[in-house]
Amino acid sequence: MAMASVSQPVVQTVRRSGGNVGHAISAALICPFFAVFLVWPIWEVVRVGFEQNGHPSAVYIRLIISDPQLMRGLFNAAAVAVTVMFSSLALALPLAVISVRFKFPGRDWLSPMLLAPLVLPPFVGAIGVRLLLGRFGPLTMLLGLGGGAGFDWIGRYRMLGIIVVEALHLYPVMLLNLQASLANIDPGLEQAAANLGAGRWRVFRKITLPLLRPGLFAGCTLTLIWSFTELGTPLIFDFNTITPVQIFWQITQVAANPLPYALVVMMLAGAGVLYLLGKVVLGGGAEASASKGIAGGDAARRLRGLPAFAATIFFVVVLILALLPHAAVILTSFSATGQWYRSVLPRQFTLNHYTAALLDDLAIPSVRNSVFYASSATILGVAVGLAAAVVIVRSRLRIRGFIDVLSMLPLAVPGLVLAFGYLAIGIMLKQKHPGLPNWLDVQERPALFLILAYAVRRLPYIVRAAAAGLQQTPRDLELAAENLGASHAKTLRKITFPLIAGNLIAGALLAFAFALLEVSDSLILAQKAAYFPITRAILELAQRMGDGLYIASALGVWAMLLLTLCLLAAGSMVGKRWGSVLNAE
Amino acid sequence: MRKIVLMSAFFLLLAAPFLMRSLAGSGPGSEAVIDAQTPRLVVITPHDQDIRNEFRWAFADWHLKKYGQAVELDFLVPGGTSDVRRQLETIYRTIRASHGGALPPEDQIESGIQVAWGGGDVFFDRELKPLGILRPLDLDAQQLAEIFPQPALAGANLYDRKSTPPHWVGVCLSSFGIVYNADVCEALGVPPPRTWDDLTDPRLVGAVALCDPTHSATATAMDMLILQRGMADAEAKFLDEPANRGKTAAEMEGSPAYQAALDAGWADGMGKLTRIACNARYVTNDSTRIPTDVALGDSAAGMAIDFYGRVTEETVGPRREQFVLPAGATAINPDPVAILYGTHGRMLDYANHFVEFLLSPEGQRLWILKVGQPGGPRRHALRRPPVRESVYADRSGWADDINYFAGNNGFKQRSEWVAMLPELRPIWAAAWVDDGDDLRAAYRKILAVSDPTRREELLTELAEPPITRAEVLEAGRERNSSDPSDLDRARQRLDWAKRFLSHFRQVADEASGD
Repeated sequence: MAMASVSQPVVQTVRRSGGNVGHAISAALICPFFAVFLVWPIWEVVRVGFEQNGHPSAVYIRLIISDPQLMRGLFNAAAVAVTVMFSSLALALPLAVISVRFKFPGRDWLSPMLLAPLVLPPFVGAIGVRLLLGRFGPLTMLLGLGGGAGFDWIGRYRMLGIIVVEALHLYPVMLLNLQASLANIDPGLEQAAANLGAGRWRVFRKITLPLLRPGLFAGCTLTLIWSFTELGTPLIFDFNTITPVQIFWQITQVAANPLPYALVVMMLAGAGVLYLLGKVVLGGGAEASASKGIAGGDAARRLRGLPAFAATIFFVVVLILALLPHAAVILTSFSATGQWYRSVLPRQFTLNHYTAALLDDLAIPSVRNSVFYASSATILGVAVGLAAAVVIVRSRLRIRGFIDVLSMLPLAVPGLVLAFGYLAIGIMLKQKHPGLPNWLDVQERPALFLILAYAVRRLPYIVRAAAAGLQQTPRDLELAAENLGASHAKTLRKITFPLIAGNLIAGALLAFAFALLEVSDSLILAQKAAYFPITRAILELAQRMGDGLYIASALGVWAMLLLTLCLLAAGSMVGKRWGSVLNAE
Repeated sequence: MRKIVLMSAFFLLLAAPFLMRSLAGSGPGSEAVIDAQTPRLVVITPHDQDIRNEFRWAFADWHLKKYGQAVELDFLVPGGTSDVRRQLETIYRTIRASHGGALPPEDQIESGIQVAWGGGDVFFDRELKPLGILRPLDLDAQQLAEIFPQPALAGANLYDRKSTPPHWVGVCLSSFGIVYNADVCEALGVPPPRTWDDLTDPRLVGAVALCDPTHSATATAMDMLILQRGMADAEAKFLDEPANRGKTAAEMEGSPAYQAALDAGWADGMGKLTRIACNARYVTNDSTRIPTDVALGDSAAGMAIDFYGRVTEETVGPRREQFVLPAGATAINPDPVAILYGTHGRMLDYANHFVEFLLSPEGQRLWILKVGQPGGPRRHALRRPPVRESVYADRSGWADDINYFAGNNGFKQRSEWVAMLPELRPIWAAAWVDDGDDLRAAYRKILAVSDPTRREELLTELAEPPITRAEVLEAGRERNSSDPSDLDRARQRLDWAKRFLSHFRQVADEASGD
């Protein structure tokens, strides 16, 4: 089922041919992009799992299907994904509705702070969670369980821990999409239903929820696929019987083994099934003809008394839970080396780790590199993602369903696989064409490869956000502009873009944040210190014996602060449009 | 106003490292700054930033002084040893593919990497050398005899003795032992572990940190050592029997009774490893995590490489971390360097100079001297024991006063037993990683059995490997005779995992029924 099937144009345009040509050109540019920068690198790596003596073979797939542990890994991954999706939804939906529809004390600062999990670098987060849940960690000591042998949270609650940590890490992805979609719904429709006698719950169920479907679909599919393929959190909890860890474990072992590459394809197929299920359940019924909400317009109702207090408390509680890993990392960065042990707080504080981190040889170049890579990748991602979203939602091309699925693929592909693919292609180019310019030499100058890898891996956020925006933008407005003589390009520029700006900002924001904190590509492709991004520099520091944990935490905190200020500054620059996403203005 | 404040704060934060660097003044050259004018020797390595920096600075100075020319080391750091192997394999596979399946003459190759450095002797000998990508070193027999008066230490070759000239040569040593947290051990009511046997104590359930041997040379060395210890003890017992006294192992090689004794010793060693794995809090792919984890009290004990253990012990104090070398059961292994096939011309000279520097007294002492000592590191002590026995004569200014060449520190490893390693690693991973959850579930069920005699019986049964030494040896013979395909290896690992799974579940069912 194609995405565009949910957005039938209400008025048949007399100038459809112009749009069709534009869509065809977009599709003609997007398809080679996906072929070269997504499919080729993946195939370059996984094909060994589909060959036997130089011939195509499904023998590894048969081996996987007949192995009880590998099948249990797939089942566990699916169970975690579905549970995390519903948990994130349970957190994000009320947060989104309350933050967009109501005013309450603290809303202006609580709402943007809910995105805090996005600014936590993955393995810095791992440091935080492991410290927090340590046998004699602050949680154990705070609850008075530090006597005797302490309390092994991670050992006792592996599955539950994975679900809680992932839900608290991923709800912002859901939240951003829901907020953007809610902001696009015309409050007049809800008011009209209420005036006709519908109660609040009925209005929500019959009016708001159906109109929210594009955002729900975007948020649910992103969290579902993300958590299905998530590697970092199961690794924190040392949970091995789950597909992403089984793949990682076998790919990274010293001896060569093609089986995990076939398992990667099984996982991609699993992610595809989950995506299609999500599409069947949530993908239909979006009303593209619904009139557009006024972006940035604040039609929120002020809450008073107990409801206002309850709303504030709810936000604060979620925020505290979400910020616990951050707090652990921040405290570690200020703790004197070895002075946070069997106590709620560190016994001795110092600023030395910040000096060591920021004066480290890797700090300056890594900052410069990260900002450059992430910005370039976001610009490229927005260009490709927007074009893909327009084709998916607005065109009637047969290929749009294929582009839709391809655009979600990067989310399910393990970062290591794509990175190995880029590396293999780079090495092949260098060996076969020794005269190629330096910037195509992946060992010598990996910047281009890093930017491409970052852009491709973060594309789903932009595509889903832009597609949700387009679905909620009435086609009538574009058709009216075209009927009045505007060209297709001008209509896009003057009508479509401004109306989906909030969604685009949301997508670009996610893409930039995750690109800045990217680990897998950085680890594999940035092999020379001159090209290390911040995450790779943090990892280098973390591996230092003795004070490495503390210095890495300091650089991690600095990176979190930088990203937070960057996002807030970007928000203040785009002004009202940002408000449609965060309601912070 | 808000906009101005936010933008100012953002740019101030962004500028902080630049401002701090300008205030602090420039230190020694950063590896992140590449001087395009200076010749660069590209070295692929899993070594950490401290080792890379100290050797880069020292080699540049040494080269300029000795050869009158500046040469920079340019490091490629793809991650751990598995990443190094994958990258080299990809490069040379591509080269072979574009030359009809064989490597062309060296002067027709431009691999972009000249030297591989670090990762352990097993990695170089059993992973890199078989790829055919290491070139013979420029070291003749006389030089080798001078550098390595004893070519092996505790059974481990200090350089590649299977080829002449050698394809790799050790440049420093590593030993492997136990780290433990005295606070946690006390809380659990167990004495501080001093031997590998101590790690099998059921009171340590969920409190031992382990590393996966398919990812870590450290873990491989330690697991192999424990297994060999079991076999050596069984062999010694057999040779001590009245009927066998005075005979040597070589003389008894063909005796079925001797082989049966070794089988029993092998099963005993495997059982011990399984019992340790039963207590595992986790099996990680990162050996550096274990000392930190023990220091935080998350694990009571774990296996660790010597310098990781010692540095952490010094940082947090002996109550929270102590490193011990189990008496008579410590593996000592060299950490090598090698020059890659295709290195030629001027770059080959530089690569040879780098090997020369690493083996020189200056390069050797850099591994172990304290910061600030003449010829010592500039920023961080590296605390790795040198590989040349001669430099141990003067240990003044050393960060650790250790000498693995003196006394009988290490267990003498047996090359014929170490030869089982390619088969053993996937077996271990199948048992402790692939089926690790089931192993530990069965273990916990057994520990819940109230009758101590029955409990001990079940523990013994759980530890009995469902695979025999004869099967492992047979798999090794097949590998040697007909190089098994990737598919054969993948299938075999899954089969082993199924056998372990079935064994663990069966014992768990028995425990549940009691």
